[in-house]
Amino acid sequence: MDVFIELKNVTKKFKNISVLEGVSLSIPSREITAIVGKNGSGKSTLLKMIGGLTKPDSGQIIFQNGEPVRIGYVPEVTPVVIPFTPREYLTYMGKIRGLPIEWLQKRINSLLEIFHMEENQNTRIEHFSKGMKQKVIIMQAMLEETDLLIMDEPLSGLDLNAQTEFERLLISLKERDISVILTCHETRLLEKVVDRILVIHQCQITYTRNQHIQDEPMNRIVFELSNTVSLNLLREKVTIEKEKETSSGHRLIELSVSKEQTNKIVREFLDRGATIQLLAPLEGENDFYDSFKKGVEIQ
Amino acid sequence: MKGLLHYQFANYIRTHKYVPPVSVFIMILIINYTFIPNPILDSYSFTSLVLFFIMGWVTITILHAEDQGLQQLTILHAKNKSGYYLALVINCAFVGLILSIVAVVYPIVFHVFKPGLLTIHIVIGFLAHFSLVILSIALSLFFTRELVKSNVNSWWGVISILVVSLALAVAKADILKVKILTWILPPLRYSLEIMSVGDKFTSVPVLVYAQFAWIFIYSLILITIFIVVVSKSRKL
Repeated sequence: MDVFIELKNVTKKFKNISVLEGVSLSIPSREITAIVGKNGSGKSTLLKMIGGLTKPDSGQIIFQNGEPVRIGYVPEVTPVVIPFTPREYLTYMGKIRGLPIEWLQKRINSLLEIFHMEENQNTRIEHFSKGMKQKVIIMQAMLEETDLLIMDEPLSGLDLNAQTEFERLLISLKERDISVILTCHETRLLEKVVDRILVIHQCQITYTRNQHIQDEPMNRIVFELSNTVSLNLLREKVTIEKEKETSSGHRLIELSVSKEQTNKIVREFLDRGATIQLLAPLEGENDFYDSFKKGVEIQ
Repeated sequence: MKGLLHYQFANYIRTHKYVPPVSVFIMILIINYTFIPNPILDSYSFTSLVLFFIMGWVTITILHAEDQGLQQLTILHAKNKSGYYLALVINCAFVGLILSIVAVVYPIVFHVFKPGLLTIHIVIGFLAHFSLVILSIALSLFFTRELVKSNVNSWWGVISILVVSLALAVAKADILKVKILTWILPPLRYSLEIMSVGDKFTSVPVLVYAQFAWIFIYSLILITIFIVVVSKSRKL
């Protein structure tokens, strides 16, 4: 699994109030990741840090093992009034970016095709529905070739039809090898397309789930490991979802692995001197305990 | 920068927010020159003061032409906040330049001045208009939404600062005897003093140009402060 973005112990405060505290996570490439959380939980801050619009107070954000990543950013606020047609607006934005005009026109043509907007390219954007306006806003974020698209609350204000169309759009972006990270209040709406969900709660990424393989039974494992032990080789095999320093020179490492892989991964960690703090099924934890209790009662 | 200037100007034109201030200015210009003949510098002095207030209006409408969501995107593409605001100021100055030219040329084209119009009158007339245009932009910038949250406060702020600047210049208040304040307060009075000498002169002392230069320098300092402050703000 290619790690596209890796956050190591990232902390961010605003006016001495912690927004994110020691957050560590890995985001694989060519996936759609949703960041979920309440208002003010730090979703947008995390997104802006990944997009390079805000710097973390401490910690590191590493892209593609240090290689440059082309990022497109779609902010939360969708402009109400854009007194231009999509072609005019995209041309202006491209010129402001300093893109060569011929290349820009070709790029705009291809974007209009991807977003099925050829017929509306000469209609003023102010006459568009919210869903169509949003398409234009995503297009402006993709004016340059893009590896990663960051979207802040792209679903807000979209009606059901627009949401369905947005889902289709996400799938087509993924098919073009574009990674997407987006924030939303709830993921139920995007369940069909999102691969990975990160939940922000109390300044931490408290729960991650890979939608992609949700049918496969998964286990959540938390290890405690000395800070001196390197995890570089293991990172290639698993995605570490959370890392937290403990006071004793150790750290807690949380990951989700398939039931099939669990023994192998546990062995690898134990060989490195780790101790298991938690090992539990990711889905249906209560069912597992219930069936376990039943088994005990039968005996 | 060229792309930004072009886009911001096109956006301003498409929003039609220029229509009210430009129409009011043209109407005042026409009304002012209804009766003929008119004194030259007195007339220019009056229209330059009108333009001083109109430019407060124009500045706010240009700075607020994009809605905030759109502005956020444009700044992201420009990758340079100070460049973005500098382009807006240049657009304000461009509109001010056009209005200054209209204000200077209109009475000449329609022959509404008393006889005796010289090139020097035209030069001083243009400097009076354009210096107050730049001064008005510089003062009004500090009341745009970048620094003032409420839209109502923006308008009251601009009107207040422009009226106070004019009142201080006209009243020749005791406060102006404090030397340091003459450097800090908006140098509107220099323009008024220059324009009140009457029309019967054929040359202008260097001091007059120095006084106009000070109005420009004072305004450029304020504009620089504004751009530095907004560029460093976290708002995006």
